[in-house]
Amino acid sequence: MREQKRILMVDDDRDFSEAVTSFLEANGLKVFRANDGKEGVKLAKMERPDLILMDIMMGERTEGFFTIQEIRRDPALKDVPIFVLSSFCTRLPDFEIPSSGGWLAHDMFFAKPVDMAQLMENILQHIGKPG
Amino acid sequence: MSGAVLSPGVVVIDDDYAMRLSCGKILTKMGLRAETFEDGARGLEGVAKLNPDMVVVDLKMPGISGMEVLSRVHEIDPQIVIVVITGYATIDTAVQAMKCGAYDFLPKPFSPDELRLIVNRGLERRRLALESQRHELERAMLTRRFVTFVAHQLRTPLVAVHQYLNVMKHLDQSPAKEHEWINRCLTRIEELQNLIADWLTLARVEGGAMLKERIRVDLGQIILDILKAYQETAAAEGVSLEVQVQESGLCVLGDRNCLSVLFDNLITNAIKYNRPGGRVTVTGTVSAGEVVIAVADTGVGIAEKYRPFLFDEFFRVKDESAKKTAGTGLGLHISKRIVSEMGGTIHVESQVGAGSVFWVRLPAAHDPETGIGSQNDAGAETDSNGR
Repeated sequence: MREQKRILMVDDDRDFSEAVTSFLEANGLKVFRANDGKEGVKLAKMERPDLILMDIMMGERTEGFFTIQEIRRDPALKDVPIFVLSSFCTRLPDFEIPSSGGWLAHDMFFAKPVDMAQLMENILQHIGKPG
Repeated sequence: MSGAVLSPGVVVIDDDYAMRLSCGKILTKMGLRAETFEDGARGLEGVAKLNPDMVVVDLKMPGISGMEVLSRVHEIDPQIVIVVITGYATIDTAVQAMKCGAYDFLPKPFSPDELRLIVNRGLERRRLALESQRHELERAMLTRRFVTFVAHQLRTPLVAVHQYLNVMKHLDQSPAKEHEWINRCLTRIEELQNLIADWLTLARVEGGAMLKERIRVDLGQIILDILKAYQETAAAEGVSLEVQVQESGLCVLGDRNCLSVLFDNLITNAIKYNRPGGRVTVTGTVSAGEVVIAVADTGVGIAEKYRPFLFDEFFRVKDESAKKTAGTGLGLHISKRIVSEMGGTIHVESQVGAGSVFWVRLPAAHDPETGIGSQNDAGAETDSNGR
């Protein structure tokens, strides 16, 4: 049996994290949770997740952008798929990701609240079936 | 060539060689970046390239007329100050040029002093125009940022509730878990309601409610009512409430609702950020025409680094203990606005680990019977920050 797939969720809203995490874990994924960008970077380096779910507005600023940049700086994490989950805006083109911000073609944007079925489908497409 | 650190730039357009030479010399000597051009077409190219602060243009030139140059310069940048040189000076042409947007005119022949004077005036005008344009932009950006931020604040609890419900719909969970989530949803909805209530109060204060509605309000009564309403909440937190205010005499002129909000905010904070076995003490006195209310708690206190931002919109202390306490980040901001609108002051004294005292000073209402304010007493609690 393959190792369980691992997801890192970075979000400062504990309720939102709790809801999403419960769903993903019920679907066979292992989820690590970080409440802010700093903790997110730490957990990403430590746990080497297969995919990262990232909030943008954390605290009073767009901490998620900086967190993505920081995570991408680690050679081991430079290709890990990152899904942005944000209520900051409703569509991707509404906000600018700096060209140096580490945004990759396989990264995706989801507006909060997130359609769980759609999120799950996309996660599985990126990382394969849970082991 | 944005010219932020460069000296101001002036473009001179005149078909007369001697004129270009002397103007160029004078302007350069003034410490300005001067460029001269011999006709309208080249002049306009120069303006587009150099983005000057000011253009001095002869009205009568072969090729493109000065009048046309004028309007085309303003198509490039409407804030560029233009001075026209009128050779065969008739008032009519000068007036026409001014109507087309020229700032001023110089009749030929003119002295170097006249040129210097008009250039300096024009550049001052340019500076002011740019400054007000910048302020306008800054204000627009602040407003936009505020709206974005508030929208996010309002959406956040809604998103959390939505997500819980969405997952509950897809997932069969234990009744205990479901029960817990329902309670979390209720808390978040309450958070949203508080945020909306706070925001409306803020709009009310900003709309000038405090100035429109100035009735005589007895703060003693308001404070006693609030304390009574929070008796149970405080007891549940193990916090005792003490009050040392005069039953009457703590009168101010203002809006009753706003004043209730003010003391409600301060007293609920004092309960929320307290500790089990702690105490909230509210004292009120009148002194030198001012009503002075102090709300003191025995909580964790506020670190000095946070104090300058305490009354800012949406500011919340970022300590772990504070994170666990619900709040909109608007309470103290609203309190400060209310106090300021009434011509009063609010400030905080705090000691980390010991507690905080919020001092509110408001102009006392004139007492119709005894004259000004009233006596200075009310248990004369000595400086309550001596904790």
